[in-house]
Amino acid sequence: MIVAENLVKSFPLPDGGEKRAVDGLGFRVGKGQIYGLLGPNGAGKTTSLRILSGLMTSTSGRATLAGFDVSRQPDEVKRVLGFLTANTGLYQRLSATELLRYFASLHGLDKREAAARADELIQRMGISGFAKLRCGAMSTGQKQRVNIARALIADPPVLIMDEPTLGLDVLSNRVILDFIRLQRDEGKSIVLSTHYLDEAETLCDQIGLLHEGRLIAEGDIAYLRNLAGEERLSSIFLKLIHADLGAAA
Amino acid sequence: MRWTSLVGTIYVKELVDILRDHRTLIAMIVVPIVLYPMLMLGSVQAVSYQKEAMREEEIIVGVLNDEQGQSLNRLIHADAAALKRESNDEQLSQHQSPERERWESRTMRDSSISRGAARDKMFAPGTLIDRDSAPQPINKIRILVLGSEERIDAAVRERSIHVGVILDRDELVDQPDIQNKIQFHSDKEDVRSSNAERRLRDVIQRTADRTDARRKSERGLPQTFDEPFAVETVDLSAPPSILGQVLPLILILMTITGAIYPAIDLTAGERERNTLESLMVCPVPVIHLIVGKFLVVTTVAIMGAALNLGSVTATVYFGGFNKIISTTGGSLPLGKMALILICLIPFAVLMSAIMIAVCSYARTFKEAQNYVTPVILAVLIPGGIAAMPATRLDGVMLVMPVGNMVLLARDLLLGAVVHGWQVVIVLLSTTLYAVAAVAIAANIFGRESVVFADVESFRGHFARTMFRPAPRPSLSMSVLYASLLFPLWFFIQAALSPAGGEDAKALLYATSKLMPILFVAIPAFIAWYWKVDLRGAFALRLPESKFVIAGLFLGLSAWIPAHEINLIQQHIIGVPESLERNAQLLVDTFQHMPLGMLVLVIAIIPAICEELLFRGFLLSGLFGNRRAWSAILASAAIFGVFHFFLFKFVVTAGLGVVLAYLCWRSRSIIPGMIAHCLHNTIGALSAVRPEWFTQLRLIPAQNPSSNAESAHLPAFTIAIGIIVFLSAIALSSLVAPLGRKQIAGGVSPRNA
Repeated sequence: MIVAENLVKSFPLPDGGEKRAVDGLGFRVGKGQIYGLLGPNGAGKTTSLRILSGLMTSTSGRATLAGFDVSRQPDEVKRVLGFLTANTGLYQRLSATELLRYFASLHGLDKREAAARADELIQRMGISGFAKLRCGAMSTGQKQRVNIARALIADPPVLIMDEPTLGLDVLSNRVILDFIRLQRDEGKSIVLSTHYLDEAETLCDQIGLLHEGRLIAEGDIAYLRNLAGEERLSSIFLKLIHADLGAAA
Repeated sequence: MRWTSLVGTIYVKELVDILRDHRTLIAMIVVPIVLYPMLMLGSVQAVSYQKEAMREEEIIVGVLNDEQGQSLNRLIHADAAALKRESNDEQLSQHQSPERERWESRTMRDSSISRGAARDKMFAPGTLIDRDSAPQPINKIRILVLGSEERIDAAVRERSIHVGVILDRDELVDQPDIQNKIQFHSDKEDVRSSNAERRLRDVIQRTADRTDARRKSERGLPQTFDEPFAVETVDLSAPPSILGQVLPLILILMTITGAIYPAIDLTAGERERNTLESLMVCPVPVIHLIVGKFLVVTTVAIMGAALNLGSVTATVYFGGFNKIISTTGGSLPLGKMALILICLIPFAVLMSAIMIAVCSYARTFKEAQNYVTPVILAVLIPGGIAAMPATRLDGVMLVMPVGNMVLLARDLLLGAVVHGWQVVIVLLSTTLYAVAAVAIAANIFGRESVVFADVESFRGHFARTMFRPAPRPSLSMSVLYASLLFPLWFFIQAALSPAGGEDAKALLYATSKLMPILFVAIPAFIAWYWKVDLRGAFALRLPESKFVIAGLFLGLSAWIPAHEINLIQQHIIGVPESLERNAQLLVDTFQHMPLGMLVLVIAIIPAICEELLFRGFLLSGLFGNRRAWSAILASAAIFGVFHFFLFKFVVTAGLGVVLAYLCWRSRSIIPGMIAHCLHNTIGALSAVRPEWFTQLRLIPAQNPSSNAESAHLPAFTIAIGIIVFLSAIALSSLVAPLGRKQIAGGVSPRNA
């Protein structure tokens, strides 16, 4: 279960003022649900996900993952969280096996458990063919598979993914989307952000439209279609953002 | 997972990762193994070649006129002929008597050295024949007649001649009552000019020696005729050893070089390769990550420096350089290599900690390199000061970062007298600086303004509006402050310590004025600025009455076990003379102070200020995620170290444990303050009013032959003291256990 309540994140500006990157964001994601955060560049998606994962502190507001408060119980939150971004790097000089075992150890698994869990994920993510290869020599798709395996190493009940399929070819994209669905079916709570609206349409149970740090619409795809009077998500997206810009003006 | 095993996991991974990097391997192994021998052999051979070339080089001399030129030419040829003759004679006599040969050649070499002729020596590495010890004639000379002194000078400046020689008369005269005056015009900046002058001077000196010897022998005078005194100095100073003076500096450079690359790679490198986010979302405290990384950097720095040292040593031994070193009065015994390696470890620890702290602030390799350069320069300044022969390991230099280690290494290598307390202060202060640097690194590493380049950068570190309220100071905040305060407090005490004949009043008054600022006001400001709850940071709560009673009991009784522990310690290791002098000075000072003022300065102010700092700000910061006992012991150790006298460490640290325990149990600073104040008051009163204690039969009546400080207390006093002391501890412990509640902010000490 993921809960965000009235999250605000301000950054100081050189002129002494403040910029609100996230402005009163709130949503809930239940077990076995995928929540998609959509929005144009600079809408605050990445900042919101960083706050949820404890990498950033919010200026105000509260967020909990699996019942643990992100700012007050950071260690507990990290134990229930799998975090992934499109840009997440891998240790170039370690092989996939070494890397997965290392992260398993950091999550408190002993040597035997770490090896077993790493082997299991290597099988499930189709990494076997290049498991001994150093990460620096892998292709983008191979790296992202290893990255997903890394995020799942402790079998966390909560997954936060920032653009998990960015820059992947069709084949790798399919593997990863199937895997995300599988995780949902296993009962995990998932928040992801994406620029691929088709992907969001087929994958997400709930969609939140973020614009200038604020959630301007939220619901399942049927509700958003109804709200905007448009069929395709891309049209809904544009219409709602234009409406928000008009309201602001 | 235990923290040691977690740090171990991080350490192993980082070490494997860094050792798989070709750049590390090149910097660590290839450079020292290949570069040092090449540089050393290459540079020495280049110098040898140049010297050889200059020895054979033609000298161009400018003279005033033809006659003077011919006189000079005759002088040079006569010297060459005489040298040839002397050489033949010597060979003949050596052939006749091998024993005499050895004796004479040794005498000749010794005498040539004593005359300074062997100042410039040339060695061929490997063979190392001292060619300069044999006098060399001038075989190639070109004499130019220039007509005037001005033209000679102009020619020297233009470097068209090497040297100008002006005689006071055209013909050199060999008469005892006439002195031939010879003037050299040369340019000392020009190596060829000074070389030519030196070679001509040698010719003249040899000719003068021969003439002198001939004249004495013609008149039947002994050779000592005009030398009524033979003065000799036996130099007892340590030889100007290249080992002691140069190696510590080389050591600094080696260690820094070894630490730079891994420090950047493991900190800024993480950020640049985008691996930092995935690391920061793991359930691992940042301090564990930093300690793991710091240990790797230290390991690589030590490995690199050891390889460098090994390479230098091998080059010196196998390249024949040890003979060069021995001629300068130094030595490079293999046994001292172990000592150098031991000195290397604290160096490496400090350097690695500094590098990790600096590089943690950087987001990219390039940025880290920019930060590292001024740090290296800053480190070389104290290192350079310490490498100066006149600098000694005392006063401020004892706690001067880097400088103290260079001095310690130098003194150990030179075989100078080094006291145990000096070693302890140097190692302790170095450790504290390293701890401070690691604490800074832990505070910076993984901060959002460092992790995310898109965040409005570093203003976030210091903009108060960006801080979230915290129940207590962070570990790095409190340890960092204590680490910075330590040398400052040491400087203040050293600067104010009374000179001979003065009493300690000025020191006591000054410290009692500075304590509220340094121990209370600044930590309080830091806590306020970082939005730390002041009540939590300083345990400002009203205690239950039981704890007040426990504090009273403790304050009244702690002096008794303290006194007995001191006596046991004295019995085992003796009392340092300096401590006895200080104690006596304090007693004398106390006796000339009004009683009220004495209690204020010795008991009330220190009790309030030290409790707020050590049991407040420091202890609450140390709790963090750690077990209560480790925080209590760490705060007590730092409290002990702050009293500087190592002899007092056991008692002050012991008192620190008890006071911290009382504070933890009571969740209040007040019982500790009461105990501390009473304890210090009793200590001061026992010095100025011993009769009060003897009347109460708490201490034995003073015997003029022995002072009360060295006598055991009566059994009755000890028994009462121990009972009251243990009652205080029991009272603190038996009260409904607070379990995981902690002193600060009502949060568990294990889990914030």
